[in-house]
Amino acid sequence: MSALDIFMVVVRVAFSAFIPLCFIAVCVWMERRGAGFFQDRSGPNRANIFGFRAAGLVQNLADAAKLIFKEDVTSGHIKHKFYFVLAPLIVFFTAVVSFAVVPFADTLVLGGKSYLMQGIPLDLGILWFLSFVGFSVYGIILAGWSSTNKYGVLGGLRSAAQVISYEIPMGLAIVSLLVVYGTIHLNEIAQFQGRLLFGFIPMWGAVLQPLGLVIFIVAAFAETNRTPFDLAEGESELVAGFHVEYSAMKFAVFFMGEYVALFVSSAMIVTLFFGGYQVPFLSTATLINNAKPVAFLLMVAVPVAMHYFAGWIRRSNVSHYPRENDPRVFEAEIYIKCFWGLVIFLEVVLLLILFADKGGPAAHIFVMLLQMATFLVKVTMMIFVYIWVRWTLPRFRYDQLQRLGWQTLLPLALLNIFVTSAVVVALS
Amino acid sequence: MITELLFNGFAILAVLGAVGLVLFRHPMNGAMSLVVTMVSLAGLYALLSAKLIFALQLIVYAGAIMSLILFIIMFLNLQEKDLPEESGRWYYLLGGVVVIAPIALFLVKIVKTLPGSEATIVGGGFGGIKEVGLVLFQDWLLPFEIVSILLLIALVGAVVLAGKRRLGK
Repeated sequence: MSALDIFMVVVRVAFSAFIPLCFIAVCVWMERRGAGFFQDRSGPNRANIFGFRAAGLVQNLADAAKLIFKEDVTSGHIKHKFYFVLAPLIVFFTAVVSFAVVPFADTLVLGGKSYLMQGIPLDLGILWFLSFVGFSVYGIILAGWSSTNKYGVLGGLRSAAQVISYEIPMGLAIVSLLVVYGTIHLNEIAQFQGRLLFGFIPMWGAVLQPLGLVIFIVAAFAETNRTPFDLAEGESELVAGFHVEYSAMKFAVFFMGEYVALFVSSAMIVTLFFGGYQVPFLSTATLINNAKPVAFLLMVAVPVAMHYFAGWIRRSNVSHYPRENDPRVFEAEIYIKCFWGLVIFLEVVLLLILFADKGGPAAHIFVMLLQMATFLVKVTMMIFVYIWVRWTLPRFRYDQLQRLGWQTLLPLALLNIFVTSAVVVALS
Repeated sequence: MITELLFNGFAILAVLGAVGLVLFRHPMNGAMSLVVTMVSLAGLYALLSAKLIFALQLIVYAGAIMSLILFIIMFLNLQEKDLPEESGRWYYLLGGVVVIAPIALFLVKIVKTLPGSEATIVGGGFGGIKEVGLVLFQDWLLPFEIVSILLLIALVGAVVLAGKRRLGK
C-alpha cells in the first residue's frame, strides 16, 4: 500500500462516516426552517452567539448542549437494561453503516490505479442497504419491548409491523430496477444513468421506472417512519411511541439515527432514480475531457450567483420592525463577507485547474469534487421533499397504512416487474 | 493473520450464541443469542468469499426471520411468571452431553486426520452475485425452480390455513 492508497482509504471512510453525521445538523435545521416556511412563521431565530444566529443553525448547538447535560433517567421498572441501552445504538449504527456502499463520485483514476468512491469498496450494493434496513427493526423492537410501557410496546409493534410489511414493496420495486440496470452494484447503476435517452433525456431511473420511483419513495417514507407514516410516534395516541421512556443522550441517539436514516434513504433514492452523482447531460468522460471549459464557466457563474445570494441575505436578514442601528444588518454584512471569502477561495481553486494539464490528475480530482457536490445537492433536494411531505400531509390511520402497503403497492410492484421484464426482453 | 483472528472470533461468537439460545430462560435473551449466531455465521461466509450467501444470511435469516421471531415475542409480551417451570433442565442437559460426547470425540478425530494443506482464495469472482446467478440459472435451473415451488406450497398452505379459521367463525 502506497501513501496514496492509505490517503484514499482515509478520505473515503471519512466522507462516508462524517457526511451523514454532518447532515444530521443540516436535516434538523432544514426541518425547522421548512416547518416555519410551510406554516408561515419564522422558525428558529433567537438562539445566538454574540448576535450571530446563522439563520437558526445555532439552535442546533443549544439543543445539543441541552441533550448532553440533561439527566439520563433509566426508570426503575426497566428490567432488561442491556437491551434498553443497546436499542438506540442499533438504530444509529445501522443507519450510518448502510451509507457505506453508496458511491458519491465516479471511480477515480489516479496514477494508473482506480479507486471506487464509496466507504467500503464492496460490490454488494443494494443488498447491503437492504440488510441493514432490516437490522434497524431490532432497535425499534428492543426499545419498545424493554421500555415495559404500554405506549412503548404499542409504538414498537406498530413500527416493526410497518417496516417489515413495507420492505416487501420496496424489495419488489428494486427487483424491477435491477431488471433495467442489469447490476446490483450502485456505482454501475449510477454510471448507467449517465447515458442519454434518445440523445437528449438523461437515462435516469425516474424516467425509465416512474412507477418504481413512486413505490420506492412511498416505501422509503414508511421505512424511515416519517409522516405520513409516523404512526409509531403518533403523539395524539401514543405520546412518543417506542422512545417514550428515553431521555437525554439515549433519546438523542434515536433522534440522530432517524435523521441519518433520512439522509441515507434520500441518498439511495438519488442513486437509484436520479442519476446519483452524475451531473445532468455531462458524463464523467465528457467532464474530464472538458475540465477547463467547465471550470471557466463555473468561474463566471459562481460570482454571479453569489451576487444575487448576497442581495437575498441583505433583504431577508433584517428586523421585522424599524430599529436604530439594526444589529441584523451588521450580522448580514458579516455573513456576506464570509461567503465572498469562500467564493474567492473557490475561484483560486478553479484558476489552478485552468492552468493544470489537460486530462491530468487535477482534472480527475476536479471532476470528483464536482460530482460530490452534485450528489450532495441532489440529496439535499430529496431531503427537502421529505420535509415538504411531512409538513403538508396528515398522518394515515393504521389500517389505511397496511391496506396501502399490501393491497395497492404490492400488486403495483408485481405488475411493474412483469411489464418491465416484458419490455426489456422485447428490446434486447 | 487477521483472517485467522476474525475466523476464531466469529466461530467463538457463533458457538456462544448457540449455547446462550439453549441456556437462557427468557425467550428474548434466547432470540438475541440466536441473532448473534446468525450474524457471526454471516461473517464466516464473508471470510469464505461467499458474498451472496453473506448478504442473504444477513437479509433473510438475521434480518427477516429473526425480526419476525422478536416481533412475536414482543407481541405475546411474556413475563417471568408466564414461563414454564423447568426443574429438571440441568439433568436433561447433562444427559444430552453424555449422548453427544462420543459423536463429538469422533468428529474431533476425523478433523485431526484431515491432510494439512494450504487454503487459498478461489479466484475468478467465486461466490459473487453474478457468478452464482449464472450457475443457478444455467446449470441448475430445474432444481432451483422445484425448490421455489416448495416455498410456494408453504405460502399457499399458510394462506389456506388462515382462511379456514376465519370461515369457521
